[in-house]
Amino acid sequence: MAILELRNLIKAFGGLRAVDGLSLAIEEGQILGLIGPNGAGKSTAFNCIAGVYPPSSGEVYFCGEKTNNQKPWDLCRKGLARTFQIVKPFASKSLLYNVMVGSFSRTKKRSKAEEKALAVLKSLHLDVKKDMNSGNLTIADRKKLEIGRALATEPRLLLLDEVMAGLRPTEVDEMVAVIRNLRDSGITIFLIEHIMRAIMALSDRIVVIHYGKKICEGTPKEVADDERVIKAYLGEDYGVS
Amino acid sequence: MVFILEDTINGILMGSIYGLTALGLTLIFGVLKVINFAHGSLLMVGMYVAYWAVTLSGAHPYLTLILVIPVMYLFGYYLQDIVIKPIFKAESEVREPITVIIVTTGVWYVLDNLTLLIFGPHYRTIQENPLRGKMLELGGMLISVPKLWGFSAAVLTAAAVYLFLQKTSMGRAIRATSLDREAASLMGIKQFKIYNIAFGIGTATAGIAAVTLVPFYNVFPTVGVLFDIKGFIIVVLGGLGSIGGAILGGMIIGVIESVGPQFMAATWAEGIVYGLFLLFLFVKPSGLFGVRYDW
Amino acid sequence: MTRENLQKAFLTLVLIIVFGLPLILRSPTYLHILVLLYLYAYLTTSWNLVGGFAGVLPLGHAAFFGIGAYTSTVLYVQYGVSPWFGMVLGGVLASITGVMIGLPTFKMRGAYFALATIAFGEGMRVMVENIDHLGPFNINGPRGLQIPPLNVGLANLMFTNKEPYYYIILVMLIAVLAVTYFISRSRLGYYLNAGGEEPEAAMSLGVNVARCKLIAMAMSSFLTALAGSFYAQFSLFIHPKSVISLDLSFEIAFIALIGGRGSIVGPVLGALLLRPVSDFSRIYFGATLPGLHLIIFGMVLILVMIYLPRGLQQPLTKAYNGLLNRLDRRSR
Repeated sequence: MAILELRNLIKAFGGLRAVDGLSLAIEEGQILGLIGPNGAGKSTAFNCIAGVYPPSSGEVYFCGEKTNNQKPWDLCRKGLARTFQIVKPFASKSLLYNVMVGSFSRTKKRSKAEEKALAVLKSLHLDVKKDMNSGNLTIADRKKLEIGRALATEPRLLLLDEVMAGLRPTEVDEMVAVIRNLRDSGITIFLIEHIMRAIMALSDRIVVIHYGKKICEGTPKEVADDERVIKAYLGEDYGVS
Repeated sequence: MVFILEDTINGILMGSIYGLTALGLTLIFGVLKVINFAHGSLLMVGMYVAYWAVTLSGAHPYLTLILVIPVMYLFGYYLQDIVIKPIFKAESEVREPITVIIVTTGVWYVLDNLTLLIFGPHYRTIQENPLRGKMLELGGMLISVPKLWGFSAAVLTAAAVYLFLQKTSMGRAIRATSLDREAASLMGIKQFKIYNIAFGIGTATAGIAAVTLVPFYNVFPTVGVLFDIKGFIIVVLGGLGSIGGAILGGMIIGVIESVGPQFMAATWAEGIVYGLFLLFLFVKPSGLFGVRYDW
Repeated sequence: MTRENLQKAFLTLVLIIVFGLPLILRSPTYLHILVLLYLYAYLTTSWNLVGGFAGVLPLGHAAFFGIGAYTSTVLYVQYGVSPWFGMVLGGVLASITGVMIGLPTFKMRGAYFALATIAFGEGMRVMVENIDHLGPFNINGPRGLQIPPLNVGLANLMFTNKEPYYYIILVMLIAVLAVTYFISRSRLGYYLNAGGEEPEAAMSLGVNVARCKLIAMAMSSFLTALAGSFYAQFSLFIHPKSVISLDLSFEIAFIALIGGRGSIVGPVLGALLLRPVSDFSRIYFGATLPGLHLIIFGMVLILVMIYLPRGLQQPLTKAYNGLLNRLDRRSR
């Protein structure tokens, strides 16, 4: 069964359709990549899935349940977690504090939440920095913290919004390894990414959208060879043949 | 019946002056996304400047506009530049810095009490006042002349600010900053310069309101508080950030205050204003027009 | 001594001093000032639950103070109900009102909440000033209510000496500090901080931000109302301008902010440092330099917000921790 399914999802802001009839499905345990030029509607699609905005029409199914109008916090408890394109750490607080906010979604007990948060930090090799102020982290560590916080909520599906943007090549490799590990631990992953090397290496399947519409879907190889994708990225004038 | 019409007209006139006092509040909120709690105190400063200008020179009260507008513009410009800007710089990542609201409240306390310290608590009125108690008779109704001038000033100022924002390149830069300050600064617009200018213009409009009030209103150190609270109510009624809404919201308050006492105790009319405010917050928080910005 | 033991010793010392103070300080005037000092510390700490942790700016807390003062006073004077009961009832009423204001405004920009609380506080004062009789209750409009000093005793929360008041407000202050301490370490505390700082991120992590703020608001308004009842019994006279004034609302908020919002000791420190400044300047300069203490307040507020956004507690906590560390090292 698909863990997440979108059926003809539309999100309009005024006259502009940021997401325009998007349908897709992710099987449990997969990594699905979502790519498209800037302004294609990728983050808007994520926001609809995560309950930030209700879709204008169409349906979102999470674990077989229609979740169109559910709130982000309810979806979180059902096992959906996400990161933000522009990271949003609780900047005046320590890393441990940040991750504990996530782990409190599964327990009321402080000791348990702390234990869980420490385990998550350790798995991301952030445990040595646990008492640092999260506002003082490097970009790479902020992105990792963002993932750590989401992981602490024990998600079944993780939405990653450009977690590799702004990272150095070695950091990208490290992040790719982190994401692979997550998948191996049983978490389904849906990611938006601009770094092609990473998304090609990671994804089982890739969906390409342009002006809110799906223009292509397939394995990384199929997508890379698709003429429409090349046009969307490089413009109509670019001769392919 | 004629009384009610007379009260309504006078209410609209006085209300438009309330709207004028709130104009700067809504403008500054639109650009900086901050409620300027010191706005009433700025109005008070404007009233003292106008009062002393008239008293010392013996000029016609409205002539002091030549002095009050530039003085208040500079006062607002440098207040933002020196006192408020450091907070924005320190919290550049914060969407809506509550700390800025707090600092403007500090400014309010300092200005009001400094004025109290220097000029004392006395109520002052202009002695050589050609407009005092002047009434216009219109079909059996008495219309206050200084309020009529105030109404004209309110409508003209609102129109001028609106046109400035729409038609000039500086106005466009201000609007761009208000919509998206990051994007605007990427386009080469200097965010803090715009903040200074917007604050200056907002303060200058408070100065205009002050000049229209001085001929018929007492000047005292805490006069701003009264207009401050009214201003808050007006901008929520009219929609935070809306220029037309500020004037219209002001008129509604003015009418309630002047017509209300025909039917109930005057202080109850004040209560109704607060009730209306809370009702709006519950039912239609975006204000009368339901728009965030009309410019 | 280890760090923990040093901290315990320090805390014990403070407790011994505050509980022993009335034994040395017999002057009713000084005790009176101290009672008001603790009352302010209590109010700012209660305010901090919503103004500090939840990251919003309530500027109408005097309304809750007034609800508490009027509820217990009306019930006691007219119906002979013990003020202790009136205190709790006032707290519940204030709590309900607080939630009513938060409900529509917590979902909007912070400025709306600040404005709504101001309008609510002012609207409340205007209402009380205009009403003599509210149903069967006589609230006596602008003239206020007096509590006849008869039947003194603990049951009626009324005493001829200042000492009992001193101990009651002290216990209340310690209690509200303990509540703050436990909340700051609980899930609710984490959720409030997270929701105040980055609401969108907090929501995605399972935090129902608006609901957490409502809970904080309910607690804060409840606790504030208790202080209102205490104040009524302490001063035996209340009127709208004294218990529901805008000045009081602002003073509570500003003392907390200057001391350090969101920290546990900040609001108390703020009260300890600023109340004496305003008492002193009112006593000595009230006639010659009116409003001096408010100018000082305003200046301090501006400077603190620019240079010490986490309040005066920031450097003081640092110094305290430094001292503990040095003692800790020396003892080893």
